[in-house]
Amino acid sequence: MKNVIVYVEHRHGATRKVTFELATQAHAIAEQLGGKAHAVVLGAGAARLAEALTAYPLDVVHVAEDADVDTYLLDPAVDYLEAAARAAGPSLILIPNTLSGRDVAGRLVARLGAGVAADVVDVKIEGGRVACVSPKMGGAEITTCVLKPADFGIATVRPNAFAAQPGGAGAAIETLAKPAGKSYAAVVDSDVEEGSGELALEEAPVVIAGGRGLGGAEPFDTLLKPLAEALGGAVGASRAAADAGWVPYSLQIGQTGKTVSPNLYIAIGISGAIQHKVGMRSSSTIVAVNKDGQAPIAEFSDLVVVGDAFKIVPELTKLIQAAKA
Amino acid sequence: MKIVVTVKLVPDPNAEKHIDPATKRLVRTGVETVLNPYDEYALEAALQLKERAGGDTTVTVFAMSPESLKEILRKALAMGADEAVLLSDAGLEGSDVWATSYAMAHALKKIGFDLLVVGGLTDDGSTGAVPGALAEQLGLPCITNARKADIADGKLHVERETDTGYQTVTAPLPALLTTALTFGEPRYASLKGIMGAKKKTISTLTLADLALDAPVGESGSKTELVAFAPPPVRGKGRIETPEDGAAGAKLIFDFLKEKKLV
Repeated sequence: MKNVIVYVEHRHGATRKVTFELATQAHAIAEQLGGKAHAVVLGAGAARLAEALTAYPLDVVHVAEDADVDTYLLDPAVDYLEAAARAAGPSLILIPNTLSGRDVAGRLVARLGAGVAADVVDVKIEGGRVACVSPKMGGAEITTCVLKPADFGIATVRPNAFAAQPGGAGAAIETLAKPAGKSYAAVVDSDVEEGSGELALEEAPVVIAGGRGLGGAEPFDTLLKPLAEALGGAVGASRAAADAGWVPYSLQIGQTGKTVSPNLYIAIGISGAIQHKVGMRSSSTIVAVNKDGQAPIAEFSDLVVVGDAFKIVPELTKLIQAAKA
Repeated sequence: MKIVVTVKLVPDPNAEKHIDPATKRLVRTGVETVLNPYDEYALEAALQLKERAGGDTTVTVFAMSPESLKEILRKALAMGADEAVLLSDAGLEGSDVWATSYAMAHALKKIGFDLLVVGGLTDDGSTGAVPGALAEQLGLPCITNARKADIADGKLHVERETDTGYQTVTAPLPALLTTALTFGEPRYASLKGIMGAKKKTISTLTLADLALDAPVGESGSKTELVAFAPPPVRGKGRIETPEDGAAGAKLIFDFLKEKKLV
């Protein structure tokens, strides 16, 4: 592994912060390996996004604005990525640890005979070997996994793990040739976007999460949302709240939901069962508002305020709004 | 039609899990082993598809696991699967994503199937990358995160969750399908199911049956676990019981200011 290749996830040219985090990190790793930093952008809107990526310290941005990428489920994307990797030569491939990213990573494992380190939060080069740091067992162990010497290795990277920093001399944009002789089986008949424009929970610097203690759906809108907006964050929920139908499952944080690691996590009316804890315990600062000072969440919170969330939260929102004004 | 569901046997998800420093594997002693909860959703999907298809459709459960855990597969048989096949061999221990998918693919080819249903994630040491790797090893269309699935005109019709919403996808069989938790709660085994499961067959394959060309297990893996440690201990923080809402809000606000978070 010498070069670094970033797989850019996007929707019609709109991407998330993790893309720029990976572009920044790719350069840092490639420098240590003595190789070049590449990015691969595919499908509708790719050309426009490639332009935006030249502001980051990449050497080459490979582009294929090919309609097949969006018509067929990942098959063309995996073909393009494999071709780009083989053309670039021995490489570490960085992929966002998202639903779709995990699919791409798995498929490249088989295509390239590569190892994969998952949910990576740090990459170290030790004696020319790539060592990836990931929380495992729901964050109970922090593991270091080495990709054994081979032409290709893959890391799926957790959003928010690295800083995004523009720079570099401006990447060259190159068009990828369409891999020849391929046929695709899985057809995407329709593709619907939900909750567009909202900050992705995994990428939010601040998460305000609500649980059973809120007693219904309404407080998520009236209590949590204004606080999240004041702090520039996103709203999340415990499994109890999602199971009760108060919020969609896409907001669920925990073992069977999303894993988040924001700078600030405020848990409101959440007891902090292991199911929830594993999805948020790597947050930098944790504040809990709970009626019960003995709730499990008190064991791993930096500050626990025992009291009525319905009285505390609106006052807190006002204080923050006033401080910003 | 033959549906095969892959399941993994994992330590109880509600237990705190740790790695054994000597073997660098998950500590399994003192922790109950169960069917990976995500795989129960996959089994539920397979059973629903079987019920809708009717006729001679069967559901086979496949697991790669130590022989000693074999009886845990009875739960899947009690839920309604027709038979189970175990791939069990000491040579598989320590297999990573590549080695796991490679060995599984060869076993699954031997078993044969029209549709392969896989859980979305595993509850232990999850990478989420096995389904994609398995589909490639078997040369199958790979449709992940299904919340609805149907088979019509020999094709698989799926509504699947994406990172930004949902998609509808069509693919020919044979194919690999993974399920999201929104597919629907797994059924409970009925008493009749539990009794019937006792008579169902659990057969075993070993590596000798697969005649693999490449090594698997730890030596055949492309990754190596070199270090692990618990995360830095998060000290128990302050617990405050303010007089009223305004005082509570002030406490949090001052704390956030002190931490430079506002």
